[in-house]
Amino acid sequence: MASEGISGMSVESLNKQRVLHLLDTIMRGDLEAALSCCTEDVDFLTHAPIDVMTHMGPRHGKAELREFWQTVSSRYSEFRYKVPQIIADGDEVAIYLRAHFKKRSNDRIVQFDMAVFYSFRNGQIAQIREIIDSYDLVQQVLEREIGPLIVGAGMEAE
Amino acid sequence: MTEHSLWRFSRALHRAINDRHFEDVEALIDDDVEWAIYGPIDMFPFLGARQGKAAVLRVIRQLADNFRVRRFERESIMLGVDSASSMLRYSLTALDSDKPISLRVAQFAQFRADRLISLRVLVDTFDLVEQALGRAIHLPKMTSVG
Repeated sequence: MASEGISGMSVESLNKQRVLHLLDTIMRGDLEAALSCCTEDVDFLTHAPIDVMTHMGPRHGKAELREFWQTVSSRYSEFRYKVPQIIADGDEVAIYLRAHFKKRSNDRIVQFDMAVFYSFRNGQIAQIREIIDSYDLVQQVLEREIGPLIVGAGMEAE
Repeated sequence: MTEHSLWRFSRALHRAINDRHFEDVEALIDDDVEWAIYGPIDMFPFLGARQGKAAVLRVIRQLADNFRVRRFERESIMLGVDSASSMLRYSLTALDSDKPISLRVAQFAQFRADRLISLRVLVDTFDLVEQALGRAIHLPKMTSVG
């Protein structure tokens, strides 16, 4: 499960450090440093309702990923995170991430947990896959519960 | 080479859900296990956080009461010494409606002495709710705030 990398450090340890470095660069808003961790053809996919959260669609390549991170930065500030769990195996790293973002529009905090899976190629991140508790995230972003909307829509349909 | 704890736990969990054979999975869960499947607990009571073997076994029984696993595919898997993470694509059948449900799931597991001590599961819950409802949830597009 652990393979030898450069300087005696395992590939797994190195890739974990690379992922934590990427998170630090994103959180401090240094998007160019974040992009330098990625391959030119980096592929990004979040499993989230993109018909509602339109900016969260698939992104391919550095330019599209830059645009996504810029959109997030324009809407949120004071990014903080914790990583309760990180696992690496060869060229793959998975993190369990607890993120806190502050909305620029009204200073409210959005807090959510997400799973992120990274694949590396030649020491750079080539693929990012995310899974979020999206129902909760949509409620926090909308600042309202979705449940009554579902019930209301059901009654209208009847 | 010894089999990773994840494989034993995964087989036992699927056997519990599909065949209602709970003895194997019970033996693989630590008494003080921490367990969380994040999602709307008011809609799906088997979601949420649990602590301890008895509470977790009740959740597994609830899962068996509500779903059958038709198929699953591991899209990504990482094995640590006493930990594992995977992204899986599940095809389930909801037993009350006989509806198919397709889910992408991320799981993070930790083991001690071959027993599960922690499991965190994340699901694209908006998609889950829409599938359970059998229709799309129409919300305003969040083009400037999301």
